[in-house]
Amino acid sequence: MQSEKQSISRGKKILQSILDATLVPFLAIFTAVVIGGVIIKMVGGNPFEAYMGLIEGSLGSKKALSETAIWATPYIFAGLAVALGFKGGLFNIGAEGQLAVGAVFSALIGYALPQWLGYDLPAIVHIPLAVLFGMLMGGLWAGIVGALKAYTGGHEVINTIMMNYIALNTTSFLLNGIMKDPSPTNVIARTPLIAESARIPPIFDGLRVHWGFVLALLIAFLVWWVLNKTTLGFEIRTVGLNPDAAKYAGINVKRTIILTMALSGMLAGLAGSIEVTGLNYRHELGFSIGYGYDAIAIALLGKSHPLGVVLAAFLFAAMRNGATRMQFLTQLPVDLISMLQALILLFVAADAIVRYIYRIKSRGERVVLTRGWGG
Amino acid sequence: MKKLYFVMALLIVASMILAACGAPATEAPAAGATEAPVAAATEAPVAEVTLDDCVKEEVFCVGLVTDVGKVNDKSFNQSAWEGVQQSQVDGAADLVQFIETADAKDYAKNIATFGDAGFDVVVTVGFGLGEATLAAGVTYPDVKFIGVDQFQAWQFTEDTADDSANVTGLNFPEDQAGFLVGALAAMMSESHVIGAVCGTDVVPPVWRYGEGYKAGALYADGMNSTTTEVQVVYHSDVGFDKTFTDPEWGAQTAKAMMDNGADAVFGCGGLTGNGAITAAAQAGKYAIGVDADQYLTLPEAAPQMLSSAMKLIVPGVAELVAQAKDGSIAAGNYTGSAGYAPYHDLEGAVSDEVKAAMEEINAGLLDASITPGVAPAKP
Repeated sequence: MQSEKQSISRGKKILQSILDATLVPFLAIFTAVVIGGVIIKMVGGNPFEAYMGLIEGSLGSKKALSETAIWATPYIFAGLAVALGFKGGLFNIGAEGQLAVGAVFSALIGYALPQWLGYDLPAIVHIPLAVLFGMLMGGLWAGIVGALKAYTGGHEVINTIMMNYIALNTTSFLLNGIMKDPSPTNVIARTPLIAESARIPPIFDGLRVHWGFVLALLIAFLVWWVLNKTTLGFEIRTVGLNPDAAKYAGINVKRTIILTMALSGMLAGLAGSIEVTGLNYRHELGFSIGYGYDAIAIALLGKSHPLGVVLAAFLFAAMRNGATRMQFLTQLPVDLISMLQALILLFVAADAIVRYIYRIKSRGERVVLTRGWGG
Repeated sequence: MKKLYFVMALLIVASMILAACGAPATEAPAAGATEAPVAAATEAPVAEVTLDDCVKEEVFCVGLVTDVGKVNDKSFNQSAWEGVQQSQVDGAADLVQFIETADAKDYAKNIATFGDAGFDVVVTVGFGLGEATLAAGVTYPDVKFIGVDQFQAWQFTEDTADDSANVTGLNFPEDQAGFLVGALAAMMSESHVIGAVCGTDVVPPVWRYGEGYKAGALYADGMNSTTTEVQVVYHSDVGFDKTFTDPEWGAQTAKAMMDNGADAVFGCGGLTGNGAITAAAQAGKYAIGVDADQYLTLPEAAPQMLSSAMKLIVPGVAELVAQAKDGSIAAGNYTGSAGYAPYHDLEGAVSDEVKAAMEEINAGLLDASITPGVAPAKP
C-alpha cells in the first residue's frame, strides 16, 4: 500500500482528493433519497411521482429555476458565513441572528433614509447603502462575539446562540414598535415597503430572480480567493488549524479571530440584506426563519469549501422550492423535504455510517479512499 | 449518447442499491422502480379528472394555499380546506387541491402554481397572504381569488388604480359571534358576573368580539330580566409582540375576574385568551373559546368548554366557490356568518330553555332582526 500510494501522480492525487471530498456527501444524498423513497412509499405515496415533482418544481421551467435561484441566494451567503467560520476554527451558530440584524437595518435604510434626507436617492446610491449597512451591522453583531472569544475566551457557540435570542427579540420589538408598517389595515409585525430606489432589480422580466443571486456567486468566488490566495486567508486557516502554532508563527490570533467572526457575520448579514432589497422589499417577523440553521447544514454538506457551499445551497434550495410542486402533484406533506434534509445531514455528519454501508461491496479499493475515520 | 448515459446512470444506481442494502432490502426500491412508470402511464387516463384537465373550460378546479402552516391545524387553514372540500361534495368543484406554505416568500409562487395550472378558483388563507393574493389577481385575471380573513381596503379608497376585479375577501362579523357567546354566558351564569379576556382593542376584530360579548349579555338580560355584570379586559397595555402571546397575563386576569365572582370567561386573543380559557376551566368555571371550536384545540380546557365564538369559514368558503362557479361572485368584501360551537361535554348542563334561546338569537342575527350595534372599530 505504501509504495502504491507514493507512485500516484499529482494529478491523480487532486482527483482523489476531489473524489474524497465529494463521495461522502454524494452517497449521503443518495442514501437519504433512497430511504426517503421508502418512507414515501410507506405513507402511501408514489416516490417516483414525488421525486419527479421535486425535480420539475425546482428545475423544470424558467420559473422553477428562477425560484430555485431565489432560494439559493440567502443559502449561499449564510452557508459561506458558517463555512468561513469553520475555516477559522469558529462555529458560528449565530447566522440566524446576524441575518435578522442585516435584514432589519437594510430595511431601515431602504424605507427611512429618503424620509430622513427629505429627497429621493438614485438607485445606484441607495441600493449599495442599504446592502452595505445591513452587511456591516451583521458583521458588527458577530464581531462582538469574536471579541468576547479573543479577549475573554467566552465560547462562540454559547455566545452566538445568546446573540441570536437578543437579535430576534430585538427585531420583534422593533417590528412591533417603531418600525412597524403604519398602514391602518396592517396587523402583522413588518416594516413598511422599502423605497423603489433601494430595490435590487430582477435579472429577467417576469421572473423574480434578481441580481443578488449573481452577487452571491461572486461573493462565493471572493471568499474562495481570500481564503486561498491572500495573507488574511492564510492567517484565518492557520488559526483555524492550530491557534498555538499560528501564534508561534507570528500571527495576531486575537485580531484574526475577531476578523473571522466579523467577516462571517457580514456574510450572514448580506443574506438578510439581499432578501430585503432583492425579494421581499421589507422585513417581516416570519421571514427568513431557519435560514441560519439551514446554513450550518449547507456548510457541513459543502465541506466548508465555497464551491461545495454553492452546490449544497443549490441542493437545499431545489428541495425547498420543488416541495411546492411535489405537494401540488401528490398532496404529500412538505415535511418530507425537511426529513430528507435531516437524513442527508445525518449521513454527512455521521459519515461513518455512509462509509460503513458502502464499503461492504464496493468495487475494489478505490471507493475506500480513507481508512475510515480516525484510523 | 444521452440514452447511453442514462442507461449507465441507471446501472450505477441499481448496483449501488444492491451494494448498499444487500439482498433482502433491495426488493422494495427495485420493485418500485419497475412499477412506477407503468403506474404513472396508466393512472392518468383512467382517473376521471386529473390536474391536466384544469386548463379545460368545462373542468372547475379549486386550489387552496395555506398560510405558513398545515391544512390540519384545527383552525383557519383546516376550516378553509374543509370549505373547499365541501364545494366538491356540493358539485361546484370538479377537482380540489391544496399547497401548504412552508415559508412566507413562497406565497406568490404557491398561488402561481395554481394559476399556471389553469385553476378557476384559488383560496388563500389568512391576512398574511393579502398582498400576494391581490398581486396574483392582476397576473391571473381569469382566476377568481378568495381571501379568507383578508379585508379588501381598496374598496374604500378614492384611488381606483388599486381596485381588483377578481379578489374577494371573506370576512366575518366578529361582533355577532361575540354577541352569541355573551348571551350564552349571561344565561348560564349563576353569579351573574361574566368576564372576557381579550388581546388589544386596537385590532378591530378583537374589539368587535369584546363589544359584541357585552351587547349579547345585555340582550340576554333583557330577555330574562336579569342583571349581569360584564367585565371585558383588553390587553392593550403592551405592544403587539405581547398582546396575543401572553398566557400568564390571561390566566392572571381570568383568576382576578373569578375572584370577583365571574363564573364564565371568554378568551379572545390568541395565546393570551387561551391562558384565560385554561385558567377558567381549571377553576371549574365555564370557559368560552374563539374563532374555531376550541374544544378541539385546547384539550386541557375541553371538559369545561361551554362553547366558542366561531367564524363559520367552512360554509363561507363553500358559498363563495359556488358563487365563483355560477359567476355571481363580486370582488371586494364578502361577510360570512358567525356562529357558536357545540356544547360538547356540557351538553347536559345547558338547559333546554337556554338552548332554545340561543337558537332564537342565532336565527335573529342571521335574518338581521337582531343587531349587536357594535362599531366596526374602536372609536
